Amino acid sequence: MLFPTIDFAVFFLVVFTVSWLLRPHKIAWRWFILAASFVFYGWWDWNYLLLLFLSIGINWFFGWAVFRALTPEGERTDASRWIVRIAVIVNLGILGYFKYVDFFLSTITEKMRSIGISVDAPLLNVILPIGISFFTFQAISYVIDIGRGEWRKPLNFLDFGVYLSFFAHLVAGPIVRASEFAPQLEEQPDPRYVRSGEAFMLIFRGMFKKVVVSSFLATQIVDPVFANPDGYGSLAVLLAIYAYAIQIYSDFSGYTDIAIGIALLLGIRFPQNFDSPYIALSLQDFWNRWHMTLSRWLRDYLYIPLGGNRGSKAMMYRNLFLVMIIGGLWHGANWTFVAWGAIHGGYLVAERIVRAKWKGHELGLPPLLVKSMQWFLVFNVVCLAWVFFRAQSIDGAFTLLGRLFASGGSSAGVSLLLIIVIVASVASQFVPPRIPQKAEVWFATWAPALQIAALAGGLVLIDALGPEGIAPFIYFQF
Amino acid sequence: MSQQQKSSGRGPRVNWRKLFEPLRPRQEGTMPAGMILVVILVGLCLAGLLNADATLRKSNAKGDSWRNEIAKTVASVTDTFQINFFRNAIDDAIGKNQSSQIDVEELLRQQAEAESAAAAADANKVPELAAPTPAEPMKIWVGGDSITQTFGTSFQRITQSTGIFTPTLDFRVSTGLARPDYFNWPEHLVKNVLPANPAILVIMFGANDGQNMVDAQNKVLERFSEPWLAEYRRRVAATMDLLKSPTNDRITIWCGPPPMGPGTKTKGMDELSYIYWTEAQSRPWIQYFDTWPFFTDSDFQFVANLPNADGVVRGMRQKDNVHLSTVGGDRLTWAVIDRIGKLVDLSAGKVTPPPAQGPPPSVVERTEIPPQMPGAE
Repeated sequence: MLFPTIDFAVFFLVVFTVSWLLRPHKIAWRWFILAASFVFYGWWDWNYLLLLFLSIGINWFFGWAVFRALTPEGERTDASRWIVRIAVIVNLGILGYFKYVDFFLSTITEKMRSIGISVDAPLLNVILPIGISFFTFQAISYVIDIGRGEWRKPLNFLDFGVYLSFFAHLVAGPIVRASEFAPQLEEQPDPRYVRSGEAFMLIFRGMFKKVVVSSFLATQIVDPVFANPDGYGSLAVLLAIYAYAIQIYSDFSGYTDIAIGIALLLGIRFPQNFDSPYIALSLQDFWNRWHMTLSRWLRDYLYIPLGGNRGSKAMMYRNLFLVMIIGGLWHGANWTFVAWGAIHGGYLVAERIVRAKWKGHELGLPPLLVKSMQWFLVFNVVCLAWVFFRAQSIDGAFTLLGRLFASGGSSAGVSLLLIIVIVASVASQFVPPRIPQKAEVWFATWAPALQIAALAGGLVLIDALGPEGIAPFIYFQF
Repeated sequence: MSQQQKSSGRGPRVNWRKLFEPLRPRQEGTMPAGMILVVILVGLCLAGLLNADATLRKSNAKGDSWRNEIAKTVASVTDTFQINFFRNAIDDAIGKNQSSQIDVEELLRQQAEAESAAAAADANKVPELAAPTPAEPMKIWVGGDSITQTFGTSFQRITQSTGIFTPTLDFRVSTGLARPDYFNWPEHLVKNVLPANPAILVIMFGANDGQNMVDAQNKVLERFSEPWLAEYRRRVAATMDLLKSPTNDRITIWCGPPPMGPGTKTKGMDELSYIYWTEAQSRPWIQYFDTWPFFTDSDFQFVANLPNADGVVRGMRQKDNVHLSTVGGDRLTWAVIDRIGKLVDLSAGKVTPPPAQGPPPSVVERTEIPPQMPGAE
């Protein structure tokens, strides 16, 4: 079920009403949310539910087993370490099967063919279940946190099921930790004080970003140029690269805005997932603002176990680079994602080296100019990396980049409106957060009739400005 | 509920005035859940009413039966009370089409007026076009749906490189002949394309047309049903008629859609191709081009990777198995140029395909298009 659809609107009306009616009855409320989440997920394909059931079952068992293996003081034991390792292997094994098996089979077949051995490998046509990465990451974090003694109380089966499958974050995050979610199951939010101003604004902003901005940029310039870069001139290619940076931000942050807003209406607060990433002055800052819940997941469950900042500088740089490469590969089995991770990893390492070397040195330039140059550099590095992320192949990415310096080619798709949308989207990130926060508070004081008119008018406007149908969210595929 | 209310036999009183009074929440930015429910419920209902026409257009195309019935009912209510003015005003302002019909008669009349001075031509023979030269290049227009996106950009680049064509690319994503409310191709052709006097048009539709249509009586026609096929044929024929030049100096290369690969929801391309082909038979100014053999094996079944004339196997399709890759676009372009060369003298241009781009000589169009391809997607 996609968020910006009539199906979801009807679904949510029912869920919202029953959820608040059942909220005083904790167990009944949990069962209801669990059932609603299964309906939401099963709407795509009921067969996927089996995988979700499996993930809930085995990870709840792993969590329980790890907890039992700890000492009474919560210290790790060999047994607890082994159970955590097995849990991670099982989870990543399932994820890897769905994400990479066809890629490996086809690669092996091609390699064998290239040396003259004809192998008729079975084409499994494995379809990646929607959201598998996100709920698998949540499950891994739950088991590891228990193993580390950070989360001392394993959830009961029902609570764990609600945590892992809660529909608002199920398919594309944010990646919520048990320590953030579970306490909210115990709380009794007051139905008189639902944070409607913030929730409505988030939902509207998210829908506008996804349905209008992202779709416009995709159809107007990104899809045509990336599909056939040879046919386009340098201006069209440059704008397509910037447009894709805005498109992927609008698409993904739009989804999480809606998800956070919906959860808020049900009395659940999710962690923030985006914080104006394109205003970052360093790549490290960018990763503190982009897909924040994945960034901290990678930090806590990959970077730190690899050694993190402990050890020599060389080891730290290796860890940083490795985390970005693995983060890239998580998006899919393609060298383009490795290149994307390598650009980020390489630049993060370079940034640290330069910062260490230049510590205490002043350029003697006005601070505003220095900041502007830093912003320009970081934004363009991020955009460069997005080219590899979006391209179908490494060759395709280089062809597109080559067109930046080639003469001739079409400028189809380039328009004043396109430039305005790109510039306005980047500029909107510089708006101080207090302004939308004030708007949220102000909106909540409007007479309900006025809110109704705004809701209806806004929905109609978004539908009119958007394209035919709703394209799937980009991050559903990951 | 108070004792007084109980004794009067009425339910709890609702203070409607509250809906019109500004809220003063005790906690900033909050509202009671009950009031939120009212706002969402009434807001969605109001949005549904205001948006009824647009919802019906989409629903007609999708054809989900019970949803379609609801959409029809809501649209008829809004029509009665003229509540749809808001959405229609927005559509007008941003230039969105609202009609599900193609008024071909009106378009033909407009076209006839614009070209009334033209003498009647012999419409029973293939138009004879003057040979283009670098000094006098031929205007060629290529357009259609999103498949034309890659094919068209290849076509534009390659025809430009021949030195004898002045190409124009005009693709529209998600369009075809089934949804004139979304994009009205016949109208666009008459009003925006033909006035530029291209000597040759290369056109491709079909990939987005496998959806329900609405006929002149506002009846929803289920995709690929007999009435649907008849209505689609009518639209194809009408569009072809619109493309006829009164002076018989314009040729349209009507490309059938290529076969779609496994895993795609785009089906029935063989049936559409059959319609295009049969309708083109009686219209010499329309030359049907059979794309199918250029993207299939010898049994005319979909293949994603194929050898070009140099024998090297390359990917012809994008990952979605619908759209052509750049390589596939180049291959089709050279095949179409070859076909144009059979109608027009192109000897003044560089029209020999590099072996790495053109199809092998053994791949040729079919002489007859079957009504349905066995095993076709």
